[in-house]
Amino acid sequence: MDKKRILLVDDEDGIQLLYREEFEDEGFAVDSAYNGEEALEKFRERQPDLVILDINMPGMNGIEVLRQMKEINPDLPVILSSAYQEYKQDFGTWASEEYIVKSANLDELKAAVHKYLDD
Amino acid sequence: MPELRKDPILGRWIIIAKERSKRPTDFVIDDARTKGGFCPLCPGNEKTTPGEVLVYGREPGMPPNSSSWKLRVVPNKYPALVIEGELDKQAEGLYDRMNGIGAHEVVIESPNHNDRFSDLPHEQMILTFRAFRDRIRDLAKDSRFRYVMVFKNHGRAAGASLEHSHSQLVALPILPRMVTSELDGSLKYFRYKDRCVFCDIIHQEIQQNVRLVCENSLFVTLAPFAPRSPFEMWIMPRRHSSSYVAIDEETLAGLTDIFSESLRRLDACIPNVPYNFVLHTQPLGSELLEHYHWHFEIVPKLTSIAGFEWGSGFYINPMPPEEACRYLREVEL
Repeated sequence: MDKKRILLVDDEDGIQLLYREEFEDEGFAVDSAYNGEEALEKFRERQPDLVILDINMPGMNGIEVLRQMKEINPDLPVILSSAYQEYKQDFGTWASEEYIVKSANLDELKAAVHKYLDD
Repeated sequence: MPELRKDPILGRWIIIAKERSKRPTDFVIDDARTKGGFCPLCPGNEKTTPGEVLVYGREPGMPPNSSSWKLRVVPNKYPALVIEGELDKQAEGLYDRMNGIGAHEVVIESPNHNDRFSDLPHEQMILTFRAFRDRIRDLAKDSRFRYVMVFKNHGRAAGASLEHSHSQLVALPILPRMVTSELDGSLKYFRYKDRCVFCDIIHQEIQQNVRLVCENSLFVTLAPFAPRSPFEMWIMPRRHSSSYVAIDEETLAGLTDIFSESLRRLDACIPNVPYNFVLHTQPLGSELLEHYHWHFEIVPKLTSIAGFEWGSGFYINPMPPEEACRYLREVEL
């Protein structure tokens, strides 16, 4: 059976490495994008089952990317993952399924991913 | 020479910097907008918002949170204050604290994504003012709340994060300082003169006719004597009333008419101007007050708040209100 695909969008190498390792260990295939433009390109090419999306990135921010992705596929689960709470004031974030504040403990993020990807 | 002016209710001073005076076309509007895409407030996307607490215009037989509606009010998905819990007021030495209990709601003013509030037809715009009244009435039943702050942010520079027209209500367990200052200032005036200061302002502005932007049989819009911002406007009912929730349907219609005209005048002077408007009304649970007078304040976002303003509490306004009023009155609609 094909693995479920996660598109991981974050401009930080450390986050990319950590999340990739963790979610590959959980049995998912992980694609990486380092900015909004690349994320939208891979979103169209790879057709992920779920997106983990940083907000504060150079160029397009994650909320703009989220709104573009949802315009294409409103049913695709997107988890916003930011170091900051303050973006919650932006009503654009409502388009996401979850808004999770980054933490060294990935339990909350993993639980959210499983919530949307487990059959 | 610059001029210092004092607000007669708050006692707040502002500086009219006449030498910095500008024409409306001199104000630079930063029209940075989020570049479209999926909108959580649009019809069909109701599942991205919390369940509605008020809806107008839903077709009969359609279920709650379905996509036929003219106006929806939904709780904020990420509220500034939360509805569940107790206040648990505590002291920490001389300091006071309590839990962040409140209600934070979003009024989705139109189903059409590209509608601007100022351009809404009468029958659509009136729904927003009716929703403010109906939601305040409902929130007033919760004894934890003392005040409902109603406001709109229009344009990115004024704090709007989404272009779909919306406004917000925040029910608070305390009275905001601005409200207590207005209540105190108007009571002081009333005790001295036995008249409502707002009623006196309305009478004087009609008589002088230099800061009166527009009027109808129920309302006036004026450029206040000591405005914080260029093109600031106050919309006030002619008849004394301290409570917005007492507003009847005829008065709602009059409010809608003058609000629409005032905003269209503002937008004709400075296209796409970002602004905030705020409802000022009496506290929840209060008897009707002889000294207080509900009103809306519309404050365009045309100047920045910097060190001097933070330090002094003064605002520097480069546009005398008499001049702003002249532009607003004379502009072609």
